[in-house]
Amino acid sequence: MNLFRFMLRNHDQVLELTLEHLRLVGFSTLLAMLIGIPLGIGIAHWPRFNKPVLASANIIQTIPSLALFGFLLPVPWLGARADRLAILALTLYALLPIIRNTYTGLRGVDAAVVEAGRGMGLTESQLLFQVELPLAVSVILSGVRVAIVISVGLATIAAAIGAGGLGEFIFRGLAMVDDRVILAGAIPAALLALLADFGVGWLERRLQPR
Amino acid sequence: MQATAATPVIEFRDVSYRVAGTQVLSGFNLQVHSGETLVLLGRSGSGKTTSLKLVNRLLTPTCGDILVRGMSNKDADLIRLRRGIGYVIQDVGLFPHFTIERNIGLVPKIEGWPEDRIRARVQELMQMVGLAPETATRYPRQLSGGQRQRVGVARALAADPEILLMDEPFGALDPLTRDELQREFLLLQRRLHKTVVFVTHDLHEALRLGSRIALMEAGRLVTVLSPGEFLRSADPLAAAYVRAFGKGLESAANRGTS
Amino acid sequence: MKRCSTFVVVAAALVLSSCSPSHTDRIVIGSKNFTESFLLGEIVAQMIESRTQLKVDRRFYLAGTYICQQAILAGRIDIYPEYTGTALTAILKQKVGGDKQEVYQRVKSEYRNRFGLTLGQPLGFNDTFAMEIRGEDARRLNVKTLSEAAAFAPKWRAGFGYEFMERPDGYRGLVATYGLHFAEPPRIMDLGLLARALKDHQIDLAGGNTTDGLIPALGLFVLEDDRHYFPPYEAVPVIRQQTLEQHPEVAQVLGALAGKISDAEMQGLNYAVDGQHRDAEEVTREFLRGKGLVQ
Repeated sequence: MNLFRFMLRNHDQVLELTLEHLRLVGFSTLLAMLIGIPLGIGIAHWPRFNKPVLASANIIQTIPSLALFGFLLPVPWLGARADRLAILALTLYALLPIIRNTYTGLRGVDAAVVEAGRGMGLTESQLLFQVELPLAVSVILSGVRVAIVISVGLATIAAAIGAGGLGEFIFRGLAMVDDRVILAGAIPAALLALLADFGVGWLERRLQPR
Repeated sequence: MQATAATPVIEFRDVSYRVAGTQVLSGFNLQVHSGETLVLLGRSGSGKTTSLKLVNRLLTPTCGDILVRGMSNKDADLIRLRRGIGYVIQDVGLFPHFTIERNIGLVPKIEGWPEDRIRARVQELMQMVGLAPETATRYPRQLSGGQRQRVGVARALAADPEILLMDEPFGALDPLTRDELQREFLLLQRRLHKTVVFVTHDLHEALRLGSRIALMEAGRLVTVLSPGEFLRSADPLAAAYVRAFGKGLESAANRGTS
Repeated sequence: MKRCSTFVVVAAALVLSSCSPSHTDRIVIGSKNFTESFLLGEIVAQMIESRTQLKVDRRFYLAGTYICQQAILAGRIDIYPEYTGTALTAILKQKVGGDKQEVYQRVKSEYRNRFGLTLGQPLGFNDTFAMEIRGEDARRLNVKTLSEAAAFAPKWRAGFGYEFMERPDGYRGLVATYGLHFAEPPRIMDLGLLARALKDHQIDLAGGNTTDGLIPALGLFVLEDDRHYFPPYEAVPVIRQQTLEQHPEVAQVLGALAGKISDAEMQGLNYAVDGQHRDAEEVTREFLRGKGLVQ
């Protein structure tokens, strides 16, 4: 049975694993945005914190993913459930691109625009939400895009610790020495990454400030 | 609080400003009266832009006090203070993601004016600064430098503030456009009688637009003179300026309002 | 405003994708990544398929005990075959002790209270660790138990599977209990390759299982665990409580399997797949028909 017919026959499982994969990526990216964007806004306004914050996020990125999963396994509550653990690890990996791009995006807003806004009597929050963030949104989204693509890849490794997702097909296929099973995981994972990259990229271009 | 004839609209009392070990402004004393165009003239580093930013509290003085309408701006509500002062800068700083009408109408909008009042005001202002009505729905990137600064001025006037702070507003424009805008500024002032503090390093501009010229050098106020007095002044710095700027100053001085 | 709505859409997409998929119309059966587990999974799968209306999804060859436990806790699988001894030590992290019944009862109640998982009745065989040596060596050296084998260990090379090396109820305890000192550190290899490596003299002692199909096929001898180090490893199905509540017919099917597979029968099934390279699905179907469990 060739690959195509295999995937068709097992489409239920392919779909289910894809949804599991999306769940890992979705939750973690959302969390990373909820934590990372405010952090990025913070260091853009108080630049003396930018070195420690960016350095910490950078350090996390350099830890090999499987090693990080291993570190977190013995942690109570977190290590009890592999998907919880995986989501936390994926969130941590997504932080750097999001924080960094939020920071860069905000700093990249024309200083004259910010000065004019402040001089006109916009409150700091009006300035942030009506002027700075809308002008930085394209750069921020670009960070989110990078985060999503990284997460799709790392989530395949998360299957090694039992978090499910398309990586499980890959690991099972390796154990069964069955190419079709491997590809049934690898191809959708690759497609997901490409789709996310393309989709969010399109969004970035649409939201670019004129 | 309205300023009476006696109370200056803006007053600098012994103002000093020091930053990163440099004394940018020292012992600055100046009064700006209602309806006048007070020009701060000086070279780069003279402290003129700093003085301007002290008025709307974009900067805080190291010592001394700035009084706006008789009240120290230290105690004032920052947002209310700034919304009551129009601010025009050289780079204009229009919001690129807003249309021209949204740019102009921003302060009225955040002040809670009803939609139709804002629309009417925007149209009125656009006419006042010489912008064609179809520009309203365009974006800043579609406008020329001169048009953008007109929008900048319109935006600053939108909520009808008593005070206008202008920091070398025409400095980035070509001489022809600059001349146009200066002429239009004079007409506008004749109509509106705003209290204007105008920063420039160009003596031509100072003589043409100012009712009084405050000459600044190295963070200190050297002298305050009317345009005519400036041309005839014996003060060494003023004389140096006159010499440096050469011919055509007389006619510039004559076109100014007193 | 357009920007706000785009952000809302992106966030909504992320949240929606974050919801857990549910498979209320299907039963998902998992298994670990060795033949016996795979066969047991297939047996349960075919039983459910033939005796109920439920559709069955197979997620076999999951990498190990931990992976299966995580999968069943997260609801990604509904049933998988486990062993009482493994559950006790590797998952519940308790010390071994007591006989088959005690171990079974302890695991059953802990699983119910701690994880909301139901332990089905034992399937009938005890797949505990078997320290295998070549039949001719057993006869030549006249060695029958592990205690006797300790004398020869320094001249032997041993081979074990990865999980055995790592588990608390594995290698460490074995060498401590019997005072085994091997010539070199044991070779770690795939479970499926151990018996052959033993036959080919690459190793002299293999850490296999009592239900290895190759034991009778290759004339291997299982050393007796005279100090009763190895805990009982009765094969049992582990099922999610929610699955039983939603599909009570599953309990009946599993009840029908209770005690139906003997040690020898499991050896035979394993050999058919590992030794004779027959198709697992076919072997399972034949077995179930032979036992009268399916039509």
